[in-house]
Amino acid sequence: MTGARLVRLYAVCRRVPFAVLAIAACAIGLRLALLGHWDDYGALQLPLLFEAAAAVSVVATVPSPFGEQERAAGRWLPLLRPAVTVALTAAAVGLLAAAGTGAHLAGGALDVLRNIAGITGIGLLCAGALGGGLSWTGPLGYLVAAVYALYTQWHPPALTTPWLWPARPPRDVGGELCAGLVFACGVVVLIVRGARDRPGDPAET
Amino acid sequence: MTAVTTAPAPGRRLPAVAGTGLGMLRLLRLELRHNAMAWLLPVAIGLFWLITYRRDMGMPPMWNLRAAGLQSGTVVDFAIPVTGAAAWMGSRETRRRVADQVTITARARWARLLVPWAATTIWAMVAYLGCVAVVYGVTAHQAIWGGPLWWPAGVAAASLPAFSALGFVIGTFLPSRFTAPLAAIAAFFIIALSTELIHGGQSPWQVSPIVTGPWDLGPQASAATFYPFLPDLSIAQLMLLAGFTLALLGVLALPPGAGSRTARTAAAGLTGAGLLAAGTAAGLAGTGTMDAHGMINIPALHDAANDRPLQFTPACSDTAIPVCLNPAYASYLTVTANALAPLLSQIAGLPGAPTRIVQVGVTVQEDAREGIIVRSDSPRRGTPQPVVYLVLPDQFGGPAMTLEQTADQVVAAYDTRLVARITGDGPAASPAQNAVAAALLLAAGQGKLTTDQPPSAQGGLDTGQSPGVAPGTPEYAAAERFAALPKATRRTWLLQHLAALRAGKITLAQLP
Repeated sequence: MTGARLVRLYAVCRRVPFAVLAIAACAIGLRLALLGHWDDYGALQLPLLFEAAAAVSVVATVPSPFGEQERAAGRWLPLLRPAVTVALTAAAVGLLAAAGTGAHLAGGALDVLRNIAGITGIGLLCAGALGGGLSWTGPLGYLVAAVYALYTQWHPPALTTPWLWPARPPRDVGGELCAGLVFACGVVVLIVRGARDRPGDPAET
Repeated sequence: MTAVTTAPAPGRRLPAVAGTGLGMLRLLRLELRHNAMAWLLPVAIGLFWLITYRRDMGMPPMWNLRAAGLQSGTVVDFAIPVTGAAAWMGSRETRRRVADQVTITARARWARLLVPWAATTIWAMVAYLGCVAVVYGVTAHQAIWGGPLWWPAGVAAASLPAFSALGFVIGTFLPSRFTAPLAAIAAFFIIALSTELIHGGQSPWQVSPIVTGPWDLGPQASAATFYPFLPDLSIAQLMLLAGFTLALLGVLALPPGAGSRTARTAAAGLTGAGLLAAGTAAGLAGTGTMDAHGMINIPALHDAANDRPLQFTPACSDTAIPVCLNPAYASYLTVTANALAPLLSQIAGLPGAPTRIVQVGVTVQEDAREGIIVRSDSPRRGTPQPVVYLVLPDQFGGPAMTLEQTADQVVAAYDTRLVARITGDGPAASPAQNAVAAALLLAAGQGKLTTDQPPSAQGGLDTGQSPGVAPGTPEYAAAERFAALPKATRRTWLLQHLAALRAGKITLAQLP
């Protein structure tokens, strides 16, 4: 009972319900976008935009409104942080993959998993380095670079590094490994230290 | 004991206006020190390097190409960081739960909010100007002719306050930890979507700040080289961006309590005027048509003076027949002239040989069935001319090529054409004419004499008529024999017999 209450309080103070709503909105947006007829660019880039939006929604739940006090008193924090983040990531993958069911979703569900996990991982690493407030900067910068990498598939010289995994073909092992590695590193940082609290920063909602 | 109290010393009152100005400057300095955009500069600059700088530097050192790449690239590079940072700053008061504290300060809310917006914009602008300085500085060092095009740079600069205002307004009215990233992605989505909606030449979506010319045409090397740069689209884009910026900033002062009644009325007027300007700009862009030189002509904004061709002194090679290029293409001169030189030395001075090879521009035409057609802008053929008009492959658009690839294409397209001017060509050409043409190509180092030429693409380089001499035929044997002669002997024979050869009076057996 206490555990459930703790989880609920944690979720509420991290704005998890709003994150779920945002992810659901991304899924609906993706579904609507897939109803349209896009050229090759659009067919690849638009899903990536929605995947990135879902990933930053997950990352936005990382900052703590309590900072040091919670870190000192919260015994379950190292477990709650990754559990909630991984659950939200799984929800994002599931919802966006479901949104693509029956439509032409470039790369399919595996690409959704790869992209959301990888971009979320970048956000978690940024949260550890820059603080929770600015954790979105890395994923968004990466999004622009990835969209450009997709663009270079038509306009050589192409960027083919697996670290820009959204531009890799579906089921590309290198890209999947890189995305998985980044996500794993992000989760480890989340477990070990969570989002960085910068001294002097006031608590944020 | 007596408590000694002294009246506070009267403070020197500053004039109200000066005090307000100094206070705002101090506030701006504080905001500049604590602005999120400063943290995002590495992201913006990294994206600039990855997307814009590398691509621009891979292009030939031509101002038109580099300026167009700079505009479209930097708008994409800065859109997300600026919108995100501005949204983050706009939502700050609510995120940090200080809205009540700052509401009771002496400054009007709209005036207070303008300062972090200005600080965000200033950081972005400083970074952007640095990027422009790098690209234009390197280009000035490399380019041989022309000067920086400021209209595209101005459009990208004007997009920064617009994105900043967009993010700031969203952050102010929808404050949460989710606002900044989602607003930034929304801005990027709008940019991406705007180009997806461009269909054909007359689309109001061409007013999108990442569009630098006819969208379906792509980067056009010949634009603004033979004719001046047309700023029509840039003017419309500046109108749109300025209108959006004013409208969005006006929205900040609209809510009750944001300012005095006068300020709110003025803000409403500003918002209306801004929306009107933006709508007008989109409407004007919709009236634009692609002109014959690959740029967008908006009649209401067009200056007829820009229709006159540019005056320039061509850059010419010192080959046997000079190859003269527009000075903007001077970097192509050496490699192109060297590629053509072996043949030019063979044919120089012969009857029918050109006195010069001169580069000309291209004309662009939009066809409902065939799409965009690019053709050489050479004077109409009629009487034989002493000049051969040359169009470089890059002028037709399409994938970027190295200088060597460009030269190879020029040779493939023009060598056979030049030889045909000497020997005569066409279906009625005699075997001897074909053999001599083939021999001249062989002597120039072109071993490929069959019709295995690259196909002439729609609007691409016309590869001319190949002599069509296949190995193993009598014509080929005669061609090899003629090509093996010393150059002086071959030349003397051609000077004596060219008229008879062209008239079809020479047989294969009569070739030396």
